[in-house]
Amino acid sequence: MIMKLKYILGFIIIIGLSIIYYKFNPEVYNFFPECPFHKYLHLDCPGCGSQRAVHALLHGHVLSAANYNLLMVLSIPLLLVHFSLKVYSQITKKDFALKIWYHPSTPKIIFAIVILFWITRNIPFVPFNYLAS
Amino acid sequence: MEDQKPQDQAPFGQQPFGQSPFGNNPTPIPKNWLVESILVTIFCCIPFGIVGIVYASSVNNKYAMGDYAGAQAASAAAGKWTKIGFFLGIVSIVLSFLFFVVLGFGGFMSSYR
Repeated sequence: MIMKLKYILGFIIIIGLSIIYYKFNPEVYNFFPECPFHKYLHLDCPGCGSQRAVHALLHGHVLSAANYNLLMVLSIPLLLVHFSLKVYSQITKKDFALKIWYHPSTPKIIFAIVILFWITRNIPFVPFNYLAS
Repeated sequence: MEDQKPQDQAPFGQQPFGQSPFGNNPTPIPKNWLVESILVTIFCCIPFGIVGIVYASSVNNKYAMGDYAGAQAASAAAGKWTKIGFFLGIVSIVLSFLFFVVLGFGGFMSSYR
């Protein structure tokens, strides 16, 4: 019952946020939060550009979303699969959840990808600055 | 005589020596918070999610080695850091929204980066 409530609440929050991020461009309106890491260090963190990328994605501009935050755009399909399997398991009362999250090397690979992305997107030269937000 | 156990049987609750912990595990793996840490890392803007990923790695490793107590502790730590990142993200959203409400529409159209 509590689980069910959690899922319903999650859906409502996701739909509400999607409407906000569809209607308002974070590049124009300043009531969106700015990443403290970017604000004080003037460097990009692995999540910088996600808000603008979500806005672009909701308008169907996948390429410009990838230009803002490639890692976020690449992780969306995986997260979609994960959450739809979770919802499906919840409905059917059977366990279809992804097992790869509990493989010993999965967190290491993800950690390496995130750190690599973090470093390379702050290198101000031509092949890397496309990754910057 | 009846309460004597066979020599080769391990005591209850312990892994028999040399047996792989995979297969029919007595304890399920504790939640490793990996997906939540990824979400915090790429959406909440706060690198606390990375700490969560490191602890998630520790959960999986310790569980694979048969260290259930260690995996449990790492799971708790992963949950703690992920929640810290999540709530700091929420707080920064609320604060920036409050600033917007307090300052009014004066700075409404300013370039965001």
